[in-house]
Amino acid sequence: MSNLGEITIWLGLISIGISSGCYWVLNSREDDTLAWNVARYSFTGFVAFMTLASILLMFAILKHEFIYSYVANYSSRDLPLQYLISSFWAGQEGSFLLWVLLGAWLGIFVMHKSGEMEPQVMTIYNLNNLFLMILLIKQSPFKMLAAAPADGQGLNMLLQDPWMVIHPPVVFLGYAAYTIPFAYAIAALWRREYDNWIRPALPWTVFAFLSLGAGIIIGGYWSYKVLGWGGYWGWDPVENASLLPWLAGTALMHGMILQQSRRKLRKTNFVLAAFSFLLIIYCTFLTRSGILADFSVHSFQDLGITGWLVLFMFVFIAITLWFFVTRVREIPVSDKGAAFIYFSREFGFIGAMIILCLSAIITGVGTSAPLITRVLDKASKVSTEFYVETNMPLAILMVVLLSFVPLLAWGENSFAKLSRKLIWALVGAIVSGIITLYHGYPGMAVLVLALFAGAAVGMNLHLAIKLIRKKFTMSSGAIAHLGVGLMFVGIIASSVYDRSEKVLLPQGKLEPALGYEMKFNGPQFTREPRGVRLDLPVDVKKGNTEFIALPDIRSENSPDGQGRRFSRPHIRRGLVSDLYISPVDFQSAKEESRSVDRKQLELKKQQKIQFQDYEITFVGFDISGMMAQKEGQGVSVGADVVVSYKGEDPLTLKPVLTMGKEGNTSSRVKLPGPAEAYLSLARIEASSGSIVLDYQGPASGQDKIAQTTPPAFIAEVSTKPGMTVLWLGTFLILLGSGIGVARRWPK
Amino acid sequence: MKKSYVIGGVVIVLAMAMAMYSFKSTLTSYVSVSEAKASNRPVQVAGLVVEGTDRYDLDSNNLLFTLREDGGDEMKVEYDGPRPGNFDNVTKVVAIGKYEPKRKVFLARELLVKCPSKYEGRVQGE
Repeated sequence: MSNLGEITIWLGLISIGISSGCYWVLNSREDDTLAWNVARYSFTGFVAFMTLASILLMFAILKHEFIYSYVANYSSRDLPLQYLISSFWAGQEGSFLLWVLLGAWLGIFVMHKSGEMEPQVMTIYNLNNLFLMILLIKQSPFKMLAAAPADGQGLNMLLQDPWMVIHPPVVFLGYAAYTIPFAYAIAALWRREYDNWIRPALPWTVFAFLSLGAGIIIGGYWSYKVLGWGGYWGWDPVENASLLPWLAGTALMHGMILQQSRRKLRKTNFVLAAFSFLLIIYCTFLTRSGILADFSVHSFQDLGITGWLVLFMFVFIAITLWFFVTRVREIPVSDKGAAFIYFSREFGFIGAMIILCLSAIITGVGTSAPLITRVLDKASKVSTEFYVETNMPLAILMVVLLSFVPLLAWGENSFAKLSRKLIWALVGAIVSGIITLYHGYPGMAVLVLALFAGAAVGMNLHLAIKLIRKKFTMSSGAIAHLGVGLMFVGIIASSVYDRSEKVLLPQGKLEPALGYEMKFNGPQFTREPRGVRLDLPVDVKKGNTEFIALPDIRSENSPDGQGRRFSRPHIRRGLVSDLYISPVDFQSAKEESRSVDRKQLELKKQQKIQFQDYEITFVGFDISGMMAQKEGQGVSVGADVVVSYKGEDPLTLKPVLTMGKEGNTSSRVKLPGPAEAYLSLARIEASSGSIVLDYQGPASGQDKIAQTTPPAFIAEVSTKPGMTVLWLGTFLILLGSGIGVARRWPK
Repeated sequence: MKKSYVIGGVVIVLAMAMAMYSFKSTLTSYVSVSEAKASNRPVQVAGLVVEGTDRYDLDSNNLLFTLREDGGDEMKVEYDGPRPGNFDNVTKVVAIGKYEPKRKVFLARELLVKCPSKYEGRVQGE
């Protein structure tokens, strides 16, 4: 079954195949004009076809063409425009198309800017595109259903958030961009020119850092804002899948800067460029092959591309190894054979690169645990403590470096000259130490981390201000490093000093929680196209501040008939601390009779007793049930009881007790009168010929006593200090790298 | 340069040794309900939440539910932590923790709730 979309994708595959082939030919025949033209035009054709395919998919979504299974699975008629657009990349197939599309667009810049290196760079770059195209064909978003359903499944409510509209494009832009330094690195080895690839490739490395970094941060921000578990990072495989290439890519970025400035680390940079790129493929393999299905909060499904991904990975490993091994002997080592200086910027860079790579490797091993342990014994995963424990010392080393290395120049430094400037680091450490200890001793490791994070903030803040005054564009590193310091401060504050409490808030009642006074104002139900939204307004008061928190629980009935529920927290942001109110449960109002009494009454035959408003007489046994008994059914005995309520006409009741093999059962009879009161036959005292009756009903015989339990809202209330600092830090990391891209962008 | 290799090497070896140790100590095997009941190490069990069994215990502040695995074996699970926001949206849960034989309940310290996400794919005809 083919359609325009599928045909377009096939044409894209053919174009990229031709383009790759021609660029390959150009390696040996650089003057072949025909090959040049075909290579470039067919690449342009590839870009055009992928753009067309994306437009077709977007139109199919906007026009609700549910005949396409992808459109039916991820969108519906009632979605607003922005979420219709984002359903383009809500599923595996569409997000692959997005990845290819962004790679195609970036390729235009690469093609025009790579100059002499174009044939080699584009051969490698296109090979990656070719593989992605094969994957796209295997899992096409244009597969059609036999008949179009009336409406689609809709977009998962959790993904209906503005941040989730932009998160996937930003992540995939980063993924696509990390292919570029890799293509340049292999091209450099290919051409045996080991230095001049750095200048054109470095802006792309910084750009990829910016883009993937922004994607990771947006993902964390969304998780904090929408999911309601109170965190921003859970070390889930999907999260790690974006973190690992980013860590390796950050090491690459530093290595390339070092090579550009000092002509060092040539071999290392080739390895790192390959490492970051291969991690992207490896992580794609981990998250999309279904291997981690039982180990992640996301449901993965193998769409039949696992084999291709493995092949994909091995082909690129083979290419990298081939070029590296055949060239490694001729790659020049550092220009100056001079001794290595410890107190230098070089040392800091190399230290940071080792730390970043170790973090990537260790986190990668943790993420791959199910894969590794499956081979040995039984598939197992590591708990999140693994990631925290192992990354903690690395984080400490990182902030230690950040607290003084930015001060150092390349080459030799005089400690005596610089020692005065270390005062800024010292000030930062002291401030951070005082604030930390004031809020309680957090343990040695965290305290050391806090001290040096403070030092890093102090030092880089000083440098950033100095550089911004001197020359703004040179401040990129200082701003980004200040951001890293602030981010660590925020992480410590929010994960060590957070407080949390679960509270039951009955409607209209003032309840204390973490120093706040809270009053639940009653539920508000609103009909939504697919279900019901339950708003849970709470008046929150502390001192002079007063506001209404509005967390909600939304339920929807999806077309598959399953009810789904989504809780959304309310976050009151503060400069120092966030107040986070997350719905746990809602209990609607209940009516129940109160003070139910149970009493046993013993009566002899013909005895009359007065109990509450009842006059009860035991007349005699009814043993007709004994005669009618059947095999194995036990013995039934009835008691004839005459009851009169407040002197009204007496009524004969017959509670029955059945004594069977599996114990006794007794039937319940309602007493006359308005109250919900019952009698049952508890037991028979054969020796004295008396019965014991069980009374169940209101204690004092009043008319029905009913009580209404007001509706109640169970909330998890938390204070999360340092969140603003954390987000500010991440923003500065992005701002700094943005300035870095702008400065290095070829004019 | 030699000396720096030594220092770098020591740092890397130390980090790796630490990682190995942490890896082993935090590893939780993925086991069946019956194996979980017999194990005295933290393990993880995957299954479905039996409909209608999940409730919130206000006294202990814990989430209680019964988990049923593919084979049909069931066990009670008690989770002391924030209820996952998408708990009602589950297709499958993975409880990580230890079985408490005295109370006949699985005390979960981590609860993975599998929710549909961008990686979800539905098989046609489902």
